[in-house]
Amino acid sequence: MAESTEGHKQAGPVRNALFPVGADLYPLDDERASFSDWYARDLEPDFAAMAAAHLSLVRVFVSWKLFEPQVGQYDDEAEDRLGELLAAARTHDLKAIVTFFADDRLAEMNDVTWAKKRDPRTDDYLIQREVSLVQRIVNRYRTDPAIWAWELGNEAFFTGFTSEDALQKWTTTLREAIREVDTARAIMLGVDAETLVRETGVDATAATGVFEYAVSHVTAPYLSYIAEGPLTYGPATYLDSFLLRCNLRSAPVLADGVGVHSLDGSVAEEAAYVRTALYSALMNRGAGVMVRRWRDMDAEKREPYFRDPFEVLVGLVDGSGDAKPALDEVKRFTRVAARLDLRHYTPAPERAAVLIPAERHEPLPSLAGLYDPRSCLQAYMAAKEAHLPVTLTPEGAGFEGLMTLFIPSAGKLTPVMWQDLASFVQSGGSVVLSYGGGDADPAVREIFGVDFLGDHGVRSIVSCRVAQPGLLGDLSAFDARLDLPHYALVGGGSATVVATDATGSPLLTLNQYGQGRAVFIAAPLERAIAQSDPWAAPEPIRHFLRTVYGSVACAAGAGPVIDCDDPAVEIAHFQSEDSDVVLALSHDVGSRTATLTAERVVASVSDVRGGKPAEVGAKSFGVPLGPNGTAALRLDYK
Amino acid sequence: MAGRSPAVVSAEGLARKGQVGAAVRACYDALALGERGAHVHALLANLMLDGDFYDEAIAEATAAIESDPDCSPAYLALGLAYDRRGGMSDQSVLVWHELAEVVPDLVTAHVQLGEAFSAAAFDEEAVGSWKRALELDPRESRATYNLAIASLKREGMALALPLFRQAGELDPSQDELFFALLGLADAPVVAVDPARVKPTREARLGAAGLALKADDIFTAAELVRSALDTQPDDAEALALAAYAYLKQEAANEALACALRAVSLQPDLTTALYCLGVVYARRTGLNRHAARVFIALAKKAPAHALVHVLLAESLLALQRYEQAGKAYRTAVRLDPACVRARFGLAATYLTEGRHAEASWEIRRAAYYDTKRQGLFWRLYEEYVAAGEEA
Amino acid sequence: MAAEAAAQLYQAFVDQDPAEAIQVVERVRASGVAQDALFDSLYAPAMGLLGGAWASGAIDEMAFTQAAVVAEQVGSFVMPSAARRDTGVTVVLGTVHRDHHSIGRTIVAATLKEAGYRVNDLGVDARPSDFVERVQETGARIVIAFAETMRTARSVSSIRDVLRAEGIDDAVVLVSGGPFIADTGLARDVGANGVVGGAEAALRIVARVARDRASAGGEA
Repeated sequence: MAESTEGHKQAGPVRNALFPVGADLYPLDDERASFSDWYARDLEPDFAAMAAAHLSLVRVFVSWKLFEPQVGQYDDEAEDRLGELLAAARTHDLKAIVTFFADDRLAEMNDVTWAKKRDPRTDDYLIQREVSLVQRIVNRYRTDPAIWAWELGNEAFFTGFTSEDALQKWTTTLREAIREVDTARAIMLGVDAETLVRETGVDATAATGVFEYAVSHVTAPYLSYIAEGPLTYGPATYLDSFLLRCNLRSAPVLADGVGVHSLDGSVAEEAAYVRTALYSALMNRGAGVMVRRWRDMDAEKREPYFRDPFEVLVGLVDGSGDAKPALDEVKRFTRVAARLDLRHYTPAPERAAVLIPAERHEPLPSLAGLYDPRSCLQAYMAAKEAHLPVTLTPEGAGFEGLMTLFIPSAGKLTPVMWQDLASFVQSGGSVVLSYGGGDADPAVREIFGVDFLGDHGVRSIVSCRVAQPGLLGDLSAFDARLDLPHYALVGGGSATVVATDATGSPLLTLNQYGQGRAVFIAAPLERAIAQSDPWAAPEPIRHFLRTVYGSVACAAGAGPVIDCDDPAVEIAHFQSEDSDVVLALSHDVGSRTATLTAERVVASVSDVRGGKPAEVGAKSFGVPLGPNGTAALRLDYK
Repeated sequence: MAGRSPAVVSAEGLARKGQVGAAVRACYDALALGERGAHVHALLANLMLDGDFYDEAIAEATAAIESDPDCSPAYLALGLAYDRRGGMSDQSVLVWHELAEVVPDLVTAHVQLGEAFSAAAFDEEAVGSWKRALELDPRESRATYNLAIASLKREGMALALPLFRQAGELDPSQDELFFALLGLADAPVVAVDPARVKPTREARLGAAGLALKADDIFTAAELVRSALDTQPDDAEALALAAYAYLKQEAANEALACALRAVSLQPDLTTALYCLGVVYARRTGLNRHAARVFIALAKKAPAHALVHVLLAESLLALQRYEQAGKAYRTAVRLDPACVRARFGLAATYLTEGRHAEASWEIRRAAYYDTKRQGLFWRLYEEYVAAGEEA
Repeated sequence: MAAEAAAQLYQAFVDQDPAEAIQVVERVRASGVAQDALFDSLYAPAMGLLGGAWASGAIDEMAFTQAAVVAEQVGSFVMPSAARRDTGVTVVLGTVHRDHHSIGRTIVAATLKEAGYRVNDLGVDARPSDFVERVQETGARIVIAFAETMRTARSVSSIRDVLRAEGIDDAVVLVSGGPFIADTGLARDVGANGVVGGAEAALRIVARVARDRASAGGEA
């Protein structure tokens, strides 16, 4: 089976209404421009190019400063310019997300001079002015088919909030203001709760809960915190989908802000990263994608490249409007996404989840808020490497529909969680828990069948000796260099010791508890990988984790229906009654060929975009993938 | 500064033992008990840095500097946090500049200043900083690695490679490899009294290895001689002799002993090591060096530095892609291997992969500064100066 | 024969007779042993003998050291040549007009030079006419154009255009830089014959082009 090519062009849908793809169109593209140049240039060629790339959405930003130069006096010219902008979008079959209060650190959009430095987030008078502005604009365009959604602000604006109460109050006021005028259109907040809490300590989960769409996006501070390093392999290529799944609650999630943060990489790296992020969104229940910038910012450049102080310098087209390779990636992707009919094909259900401990929201001096997201990302990657359909679930959200839980290197869980976990396992669920340091809860003895004897402390070598080969997958002995902050000394109990360290101290145990299985890893391996160098994590340890995760989940019925032999290749399986679609994404910079294995004989495989099916006649078939390569295949069975 | 509170002293103890969580709590306890002072924030900054929480480290270090603009450990933590976070090279340049003024003999400040200049694309200034670092300490290997990278960017590999090798020889890891191959990686550095060594082959060779580790070449040579007088065809003894000659810069004697050893026992890792090192020093023998290091990598694949030596010999043969693979193997075996990180950066540059090259250099700095324990030196000086005052 | 010569060389070392040692090397060379093989076939065995003699006590420490000095003097006679031979193939390379990225080009240029190619490096911001003038001046038929931005990458086509306009149809134009890695069709679109992914790739591709041209009877 060849990797998807553009060879087979057929008539058919070019956009997917259930998975729109768009880009942010910033008002200024030149560092030297003035705030009054807000969308002043001719945007027709940009809209034409967006349409040619089959984009569905474009995000535009309102400039309060320009719209309301004096209190209560609105600038007709600015309003007309917005009207022209929306009309141009409409002409090209594009729908707009209109963002009201955005900070791009260049166009001074919220810098209303008459506000006299009062905080537009908390000052009652200013909030009233904001309500007036928003209602004025919404009222004018509420019936305009070019509007896809109203968005209250962008994350740069929301980082100015210092408390949940203030955030809640502001969002409720502005949201209700829009609803008074427009009862139909979707409203978005424009905040990723996970990234905002990292940057400000303000938990926006409750505030985001009432909106029709949620967003997830990798901000520069979040990237540098959780996956700062090369962009085309290692944790960086899993981060977009990790955040997307962190935000998956009641509302659909737009994978927002897709794209690189700095001009540090080459255009080839930009394209490869954008490709992985686009596919990650489609493969992980995203509701659409917004690329972080349409056009490059014209900024001073020094070799190799100038770094990005505003996070949003890098676009899909260059400063003169010429397409960059990343735009070709978007074009190719929209064609694939358009052919995946999400009314017909549904993603394989996730029966396995990584638990995000509640301690994650504890402030300093607890380090859980800093450690846990990184550990969870590593656990998520291990589950993906085992090809499990996996999601994330916050502690306390319940385990409905889940059969396997991974609890990576948590410091502590709540008493309620231990009770719920005991019930979950007793009734047939499986759990893999790695020790996170400190005293073990008494429930560990009950559920995992081990006696906790103490924390042996810091180690610099992880050793594994297999006591029970085959019991939890194909484990092998190893000694690998990795700094471990803790190692639980455990003994006795009812658990079977599956593997030990070099001196016989249990490393991995398995306990049958009720109808389920509880697996204990005596060291915080996920955290240790995250805290060392996740780009150079010792392969034996990664192999150990994914083998244990995979084996436990598969035995619990949470394994993949379509398996893959290559841990670097992520698989998403979409099912229908008559055929399946498989998306494959390589998280590696080298070329590789993955062998996919279905549970039944695959008659033929074809590119979702069309073209001649390749006969298979077997359960397994190979999929060659280039560097960060992708494939979108339709599988037909006999 | 008055004496530190018990909470801070406790935090220091915990931090030194790597117990980050408990140490952070102790610092917060100290702050809650009213202890004010740049040192607590500097300590917190370092703890945050240890956990790779750069934004938190920046916040704490900034608080420390606001409290006392002469708080040198806080500058160190702040500069490291900016560097590791990435994308903040302009701020980083200012901080390292400041630290180099506050503590002018701090070699690392100049090395880091150079790296910050380089990241901000001020190459001339970067080279100037590294040269100043080498004036302060001619054995500063990271400055030399950086000069090698700068040379690669400006002149190509042929001129950069000797600098890589020069830096490698300044790097203590190469000697560590030989002792690891001898099985003495964890052996203590102790003085050996030849008179107390049992007159057996094993005892003599074991003691000779320990003497070499203690840099006592004469005792080692005496013990090796005794072993060879009993058994002249003892390859292991000859390999020890080769290493002793290498340490005395007697390359031909080392070559003679290593060749003899390899002719007696072709897969003896210590002999292969010495032979490869001698070959690698002669430009015409790069192919020979590569052959020997390939054999060594097969025999001792678990040692990161073996792959580094192989990679360097491959660089000399213009086999950059293979060299990159060998460096990657080394990094996987030992992520803290600074020499492998810089070498890998060089191979990335030959492939036009600038961002990844920068990343490897940053990781090298990360591990190098972690290893040095500089923070504690500055912290102790700062705290002592405060208490004296 | 080889073992005998090695023994003679060893003896010359021990006798501290560099003139004899050189004569041994010359005799072996005259017998048809290639320069690159002298080290392995003659010098290394002789050094092994020397090591063995020291180990067995046949020579003492002082003799060993003095023999090593003679060995050093003879070393240059047996060392394989470090410098690559001149390939006779000329390559013109440069970073294209309005592009100031130089690191990749510098490394590739140095690598090719070290491998024995005659490299004409035009530096950064080289106009198509600069490339063509240098091609005309040197008779080179291999050009490598470097570009790191999309706009400058697309401008490579004008190098091909100017080459054609000057009647140089047989030049091989290679391109290098991120845009060509990201978009594999771009090289073709701008009229390039191939993409140079890095320094080692440059060696491979240039060697192949030179070989193909030589076998086709042309000069590279």
